[in-house]
Amino acid sequence: MEEFITDSFEKDFWKDWEKRKTWDEIQPGEIRPSFEVTLTKEMIQRFARSIGDLNPLYFDEEVAKKSPFGGLISPPSIHVLLMMVCTPHEDWMKEPGTINAGQSWYYNVPARPGDRIRLVCKALDKFMRKDRLFVIHENVFYNQNGEVICSGRGWTIRPR
Amino acid sequence: MDSTIHQDIRVGQMIQGPSVPVTKEMIREFAEASCDFNALHLDERFMDRSFGKTKFDKVIAHGMMTFSLMTRMMTDWLWPRGKIHRRLETRWLKPVYPGDTITCGATVTKQMKTLKGNWILFSLEVKNQKGELVATGESMAESPD
Repeated sequence: MEEFITDSFEKDFWKDWEKRKTWDEIQPGEIRPSFEVTLTKEMIQRFARSIGDLNPLYFDEEVAKKSPFGGLISPPSIHVLLMMVCTPHEDWMKEPGTINAGQSWYYNVPARPGDRIRLVCKALDKFMRKDRLFVIHENVFYNQNGEVICSGRGWTIRPR
Repeated sequence: MDSTIHQDIRVGQMIQGPSVPVTKEMIREFAEASCDFNALHLDERFMDRSFGKTKFDKVIAHGMMTFSLMTRMMTDWLWPRGKIHRRLETRWLKPVYPGDTITCGATVTKQMKTLKGNWILFSLEVKNQKGELVATGESMAESPD
């Protein structure tokens, strides 16, 4: 299990960018490397604040305890952050110039502070359309109990 | 289809979501919070290139920032009503630039009963200050009652 520390995250997506897989090299169906990360209250609250979402379910333990969720949770869209922290620097999703063309996500149980998050992800398909190189990726996030948190698919346009 | 599953919710009902002025600072904060440091969102010098045939004038906001704001609109509306946010599908139609103000809205399109569930379907739109659509989406919510 890896404790995620923001300061140690490589923010320079240009670093070693040429080592990332190109459209030609991306193999649909092949599992992408990923690692387990512990989701912290700080990660959740920072993410929520960045979109101006001050829902007490993310910030106020007392209110969250009395809610149907029974404790603090994260916004459903926390997978945006989890996608980045559960995948290595070399992952092709981190290639500068990757364009997001669309996404679809299904939510099961909420992610909570202290959850050990596991991601299973892969490219599912790749194709050319309007002279652009597309890759569809699919992703499933699990908690430490093996419960599905959410599952989703994204359409990206590859820069090369 | 049964349009009378929830007396308090009707097809055609509109939901007003957040209206958010997008700044470079907000994009930077979202990059830090989501650990998405793609140069498209941060590096002005990078923007005179084209990306596999796509060209932008300047840095753009993360599509997933818009996605997260759409999610916020849905949870703000659903959770106080005891409903569960189950699904969101989005398509990006135009880039969002610093200086834009984007406004999210949703409309109830259907109520459906399945063998074990009660569902509410929504169509979502995000517009910029010129009234141009920057994103559209579809959403599903489940009702425990």
